[in-house]
Amino acid sequence: MGAVLRSEWYKLRKSKMLPIIVAGPLIAVIIGAMFNYDSMEGGFNQWSLAVLSMNLTYALLFLPLITGVLASSICRYEHQAGGWKQLLALPVRRGNVFISKYVLLLLLVFLIQLLYLGAIYIVGIINGFTDPFPLEIIWKSILGGWLATFPLVALQLWMSIIFKSFAAPFAVNVIFTLPTILAVNSERFGPFYPWAQPFSMMYIGGNAEDVFFVPWDQVLTVVGGSFILFFLGGYIYFQRKPI
Amino acid sequence: MEYIVKTSNLSKHFGKEVAVEGLNMNIKKGDIYGFLGPNGAGKTTTIRMLLGLMKPASGSIHIFGQDIKQHRKNILARVGSLVENPSYYPHLTAYENLEALRKIIGVPKKRIYEVVETVRLTEVADKKVKGFSLGMKQRLGIAMSLLNQPQLLILDEPMNGLDPSGIIEIRELIKRLPEEFGITVLVSSHLLSEIDQMATTVGIVTKGKMIFQDSIEAMRTLAGHTISIQVNHAEQAWRLLLAKGMKVEHENDFITLQESSNEMVAETVRLLVQANLSIYRVEEEKRSLEDIFLSMTREDSAV
Amino acid sequence: MISMMQTDFLKIKRKGFWFLTFLGPIGVVALQMVNYGVRKEYLLQQSENDWLYYLQNITAFTPLALVLGIAIFTSFMASIENETNAWKQLIALPVSKMTVYLSKFTMLACLLFISSILLMLFTLGFGVFLSFDEAIPWLELVKYSFYPYFAALPVLALQLWIATVSKNQGIPITTGIFGVIFAYSAHIIPDWMIWKWPSLMNQWDEPLINVLLGLGVGCLLYVVGMLDFTRRDVL
Ligand SMILES: Nc1ncnc2c1ncn2[C@@H]1O[C@H](COP(=O)(O)OP(=O)(O)OP(=O)(O)O)[C@@H](O)[C@H]1O
Ligand SMILES: [Mg+2]
Repeated sequence: MGAVLRSEWYKLRKSKMLPIIVAGPLIAVIIGAMFNYDSMEGGFNQWSLAVLSMNLTYALLFLPLITGVLASSICRYEHQAGGWKQLLALPVRRGNVFISKYVLLLLLVFLIQLLYLGAIYIVGIINGFTDPFPLEIIWKSILGGWLATFPLVALQLWMSIIFKSFAAPFAVNVIFTLPTILAVNSERFGPFYPWAQPFSMMYIGGNAEDVFFVPWDQVLTVVGGSFILFFLGGYIYFQRKPI
Repeated sequence: MEYIVKTSNLSKHFGKEVAVEGLNMNIKKGDIYGFLGPNGAGKTTTIRMLLGLMKPASGSIHIFGQDIKQHRKNILARVGSLVENPSYYPHLTAYENLEALRKIIGVPKKRIYEVVETVRLTEVADKKVKGFSLGMKQRLGIAMSLLNQPQLLILDEPMNGLDPSGIIEIRELIKRLPEEFGITVLVSSHLLSEIDQMATTVGIVTKGKMIFQDSIEAMRTLAGHTISIQVNHAEQAWRLLLAKGMKVEHENDFITLQESSNEMVAETVRLLVQANLSIYRVEEEKRSLEDIFLSMTREDSAV
Repeated sequence: MISMMQTDFLKIKRKGFWFLTFLGPIGVVALQMVNYGVRKEYLLQQSENDWLYYLQNITAFTPLALVLGIAIFTSFMASIENETNAWKQLIALPVSKMTVYLSKFTMLACLLFISSILLMLFTLGFGVFLSFDEAIPWLELVKYSFYPYFAALPVLALQLWIATVSKNQGIPITTGIFGVIFAYSAHIIPDWMIWKWPSLMNQWDEPLINVLLGLGVGCLLYVVGMLDFTRRDVL
């Protein structure tokens, strides 16, 4: 397992992912910088305001969509020139290959989350925020958003193993992500929609008593449930995929 | 002499790496031109430039006597090609792949059946190419290259992945083309034995340079007559002959003559005897073409 | 050119292009079906003119679907040619590289146009089903269905360019993600950004400007992309 993971990491490092990884934080800075903070009134912490406005695009659209690009990227070199058959002809368990790729994807998403944290900070500096930095809240948001992508990453890895092109898994991703815009406005559907969870769990305006701004049972059932579904789906599909 | 393909000082580099340098290629009408060279020699790069896929860094290309820069469309209408691995759309059937091409080049539909028959794919023509074996894909690639009834056919390693009977079939097909249809063929390969069995003219490249270009007979002549002479002091004999301006090499007790006409051998022996050297043996060595190819490409072989 | 396009349409068979052409507009309208299904009463209270308000709700998603659809189509099309490097075969045919490029652009523009027609039909259909009090605002309906299409042509030209020259399709897809985020943030980004245009917003409140800009800048970006495409070596 360790060897497979190291080999995956090596292949990844050699495949110029940097632009894709910094894309999100970059766009967060752009959007965050364009937002007019002076127009907002009343007692809000400036940082919180910035995060709220930046999350609107970052957590709602960017984070779910970029998981697909990352997953396709991590499968790209296997689809090209028969990498799968070479990889799986080695004495490795298929399951370990799948898990290695999945773990690596999670680490990448975490890296993006950390960069997003940096982006928030930069936006604050650009705008000259003077309020204290609400460290704990923002950390919870970063971690929560990361957790919420677990099922999405699993589904996208699954799709990326099925399809050779980037476009097809991306289309699947888009089909599920666009409705989020409506779902988060709905108290009835929002909590149950897996693609809305990154936004909900990063929504620092949510219930502050809950660790991740949403109730624990929602985290467990919706995020946990869809994670199990998508992860097992992908895992079993990959076990059986004829190469 | 009217050449079908003529390149002058053709060069191409990728960044600092030189892929093709000062290449002059001449292909006569009706030739089967074997384009030989080890891996990375620049064969595919040259072919890409012939097809207008890449722009040369310098030099010119004339095909059918026309400059590719100005008459690209005109030329390509009369050229068929298969570059490296065949290109196809895996989700379409063999027939649909050919139909996609046919629509662009505008030949009658029955031409599809003809080429499919020629490469013996008729039975699987309605299957998606995704499920084809390597050799079947290669055949499809060759069928595609023949679709427009080309006057010049450019095939880059066409025997890739074919089984022995497939190789013979395609070889026989290639050999038939000039006689029956007046097609000129350029075939690249890194296997001399393959070229030997069908080419009429050979061009050998290594490291982007053309190091030999002549008829296959000329190459065979080169192969047949190397004369080795065993003497008591090979080194001394070698110096002596070199000083007389002859092309010789020496190895252990032997010196080897590159030129092997009767007069040359007689002259050499005379010189050696005059110098009081003892001649133990004079042998004619039959070098195989393979040996020649290897020794030609060895000096600056790419891999 | 005609034959080139026939070929291009043949190549997209069984690849899901037609499915997506239908799915886009269906999806946009379906979102409003859910929206109105869940809270129709609330939505009807939101404005004086229910038909126009409904059209505006639809139009909130049209630019997003367009921008993402363009990114998917262009990248998908490039992948089809990249898969076995079919570019080298295509370019070795007796057609100019410009024709190859133009044919791709035209085909995708056609598919998107069909999507826009479908969008109008589905919007109309569900609107009639909702049986608002007002008469059907035909002019607005046509505007909201086709203006975003023309305003999105620069995005199509840009994405086609990036997709055809990128070895790694992650790049055009990521550009598409940027695009949709800009499109979603249309109200705060400056007027000069092409992703804002499909939203039909501008400081003069005149959607026609976006259409004209779309056509003009679309042509410009198209020509730039095409020239770059013809200049490049095919590997
Ligand atoms: N796209 C490219 N980018 C960089 N270098 C290239 C490219 N294409 C070819 N080369 C280099 O040019 C040289 C010639 O390559 P080419 O493909 O023409 O060789 P070849 O004779 O066809 O070899 P083979 O027998 O292996 O097919 C090689 O050294 C190769 O590394
Ligand atoms: Mg080659």
